[in-house]
Parts: sequence; structure tokens; C-alpha cells
Amino acid sequence: MPKNLENYLEEISHFLSGREERHEILSEIRSHIMEKAEQEGGPVTEASLEKVISAYGQPRRVAEKYLENRPVIAPVFQRHLFRYASCLFAIHFAFTVFAVAFKESFISFPFLFIPRMGIFDAVMYLPMAFLADFGVVALILYFITRSGKEIKLPWPKFALDLNEMKAFDKKNLAAKAATLFGGGVMLALTAVAIWLFVKFHTIFFVSFNFEKFRPLLLPEPGRRISLIVIAMLAAQTIAIFVSVFARSRRMVCWVDAATDALGLVLIGMLLRQPAAGLFAVHIAPASMPMIWFALTIGLLVVALMIAIDLVAKLVRLGRKSLKK
Amino acid sequence: MDNELGSFETEMKRGFLQLLVLVLLEKEAYGYAMVRAFRDLRYEIEENTLYPLLRRLEKRALIQGKWDVSEERPRKFYAITSEGKKLRDELVGIWNHQDNILKQVLKEKKHAQEP
Repeated sequence: MPKNLENYLEEISHFLSGREERHEILSEIRSHIMEKAEQEGGPVTEASLEKVISAYGQPRRVAEKYLENRPVIAPVFQRHLFRYASCLFAIHFAFTVFAVAFKESFISFPFLFIPRMGIFDAVMYLPMAFLADFGVVALILYFITRSGKEIKLPWPKFALDLNEMKAFDKKNLAAKAATLFGGGVMLALTAVAIWLFVKFHTIFFVSFNFEKFRPLLLPEPGRRISLIVIAMLAAQTIAIFVSVFARSRRMVCWVDAATDALGLVLIGMLLRQPAAGLFAVHIAPASMPMIWFALTIGLLVVALMIAIDLVAKLVRLGRKSLKK
Repeated sequence: MDNELGSFETEMKRGFLQLLVLVLLEKEAYGYAMVRAFRDLRYEIEENTLYPLLRRLEKRALIQGKWDVSEERPRKFYAITSEGKKLRDELVGIWNHQDNILKQVLKEKKHAQEP
């Protein structure tokens, strides 16, 4: 058999792996291609076969036509995917906060396993947890789809739904102007923060009286935390301007995802700062654990919002790639 | 617009091709011969859609396939089964009915547009 035909059938065969009638399918395609090349191009040569092969179609497309076009998740359940995944993630997140706050592990085999972890680990763990929850929900919906039974799933009226998230409308001038205004505010904030940092090596003050400069934090942690916050402000500012001026929505999505990822890393760095030896002002020792706990929870909530946004952006990018 | 037309045409062709194959296979034929027959009727199809369709119809026992290895090149011949004939007759009836409806609606529309 000519080499190009052999290679072509080999590729189709690869995409039909596991199907028992594969050999018969390939025999029929082989017979068709050989006959067409002979009938329409005279003696069969590699060149005449190449023409027939290319008209027959890409191996993957050919193989797909033999596969039953059954969706992995039935269309009626597809809208449940993000809603259920986000509900499950909310539970997961709550347990993660408890695991961090109370330094405990939560195990309910095989449904839940949240190891005892530090704050930085938790920030890194949450996006993974969302993907795991997404996978579990997708698997359950897949089995429900496969069962073919008339199952009505409840529809919670809260939680994240990707289909309801609208992309930025470039034609909407009001929205564009508002975003631009927001970008301007962020740019001003970033500029002020950089100016303060250059002048005082910190951006945290007890009062705004620069004549009697009193920093809130001690010099070294103050410098570190200031730099982290400036980086977060700058990243957000860049993301906003990209969203206004970029021509491709895909690029906006990538920049947003990169900003979110950077934001998570920076929050993780903030959470790693030791509580002791942080403040330059006197704080009652009894109040310190409360203040620290409130700051931690606040940062974790911000991390959660960023994590959800990051996952949604990545799924949206993945979905676009799949569509292509 | 062309893309839209293409997707509608593909959708329409899917059902039509099934019916056409069932009608054509009154007489035994193999894949490439069917493609030639369609081409003679000035009906172009994507060749790679025909064989999966034949396989689906065969699985549902509407047609029956048989390899002929007596020639130098083996060919799979298909013929309609009695179940296939029953279904084909019903489908032709539905097709004619739909065709009449469309003709009637178009006729009424034409009359309404006339001054």
C-alpha cells in the first residue's frame, strides 16, 4: 500500500482507538480512496492518492463522523456546572478558612480532605480546590447524562455562573468611560504610592501630617509590604488600561488572568509576613491576635474573589480555545 | 451569510441524504458508486459523511452490507432491508407532505404579493 495512504489510515485509526469496527471502517475508506484515485486519475500514484486523500478530509474530522455525537454533559445540565461547582467551592473555602484559623485538618473520606496548612499554602491551594470541585461536579453531571434518566436537578439562585458574566462591550461608550475613569483613579493612587515610597520608604502612616512623619509599620516590614501593595496597584492599573485599549478580548482575558495570578502570589506574600515586630506604634498585646485574625480573613476573602475570577478567566480562555 | 447558509444546508442535507440513500439502495450499490450516482444527479456530498451514515443505517438493520472479495479490490455492497423499505416509504410520505405544505405556503405568499 502506498506510504501516504498508509499514514493517512494510520492517523484515522489512532482517532478511532478502542472501536471494534475500526478495521472495517479503514478497509472501506481504503477501498474508496484507491477506487476514486484510479477512476479519476488513471494509474494510482502517490500524487494522485494525495489529491484524493486531501479531498476526503482531515483524519480527525473523518474519525469524528463515526463517533456518536453525544455530549459529555447534556445541554440541560451544562448551566448547572458552574453553579454547583461554585457552591461546592464555597463549602471548600469555608473549611479551608477553618483549617487555617484553627490549625486543623478536615477529612471526610472520600468527599473532603483539607490538610492543616498555613495561610500561604491556603492561597495556593484554593485555585486547585476550585478545579477539583469543578471536576467532581463535571463527573457527576457526566454520569447523570450517561444514565439518560429524567432527573431534575435543583437550581440554587446564587453562586457563580459563567454564562451570566458578560464580556466587556467595546461599543458601550459609557462603560468604557467609567473603566477609563477607574483606570485614572488607579493610576493616580499608584503614582501617589510610588511618590510616598520614594520619599518615606513606606506608604503606611498613622496620620497624613508629613511634617510630623509617623509610620504605621517598622522600617523593614513597612518597606516590604509597601512594595507588595504598589505592585498590586500597578498590576491592576495596567490590566484596566489594557481592557480599555486592547483590540482582542482574548488578550484582555489573558492579561486579567495574569493579573489575578500575580495578585494571588502577592497576597500570599502579604500573609507570610510575621505578626510580631510589624507595627511601629503601640498596640495592646491583647488586641493583636484579633487584629491579625481580621486582617487574615479579609485578605483570604480578597484571595477567594481573585481565585474565582482567575478560574473563570482560565475556563473562558479554555472554552474559546476549544471552540477554535 | 455564506457560513449561515452552509450550516443550514448541512442540517437539511443530513436528513435528505439518509432518505436518498434508502431510496437509492433499492438496488445494491457500494460507497463510491453511490457518490458517482449523486454526482450524476448534480448532488454533491462530502464523501466522508456517506460511510458513517451507511454504518449507522446498517447498525439499525435498515440496510445490509456485504463484502465482495471476488474482484482485485474488495468492495462493500449495501442493499436495503425489508425494515428499511418500510421506513423509507414512511419517510417519502413525510417528505411529500412537507413538500406540499411548502409549495402551498409559497403559492399563498405569491398570491398575497400580487397587486
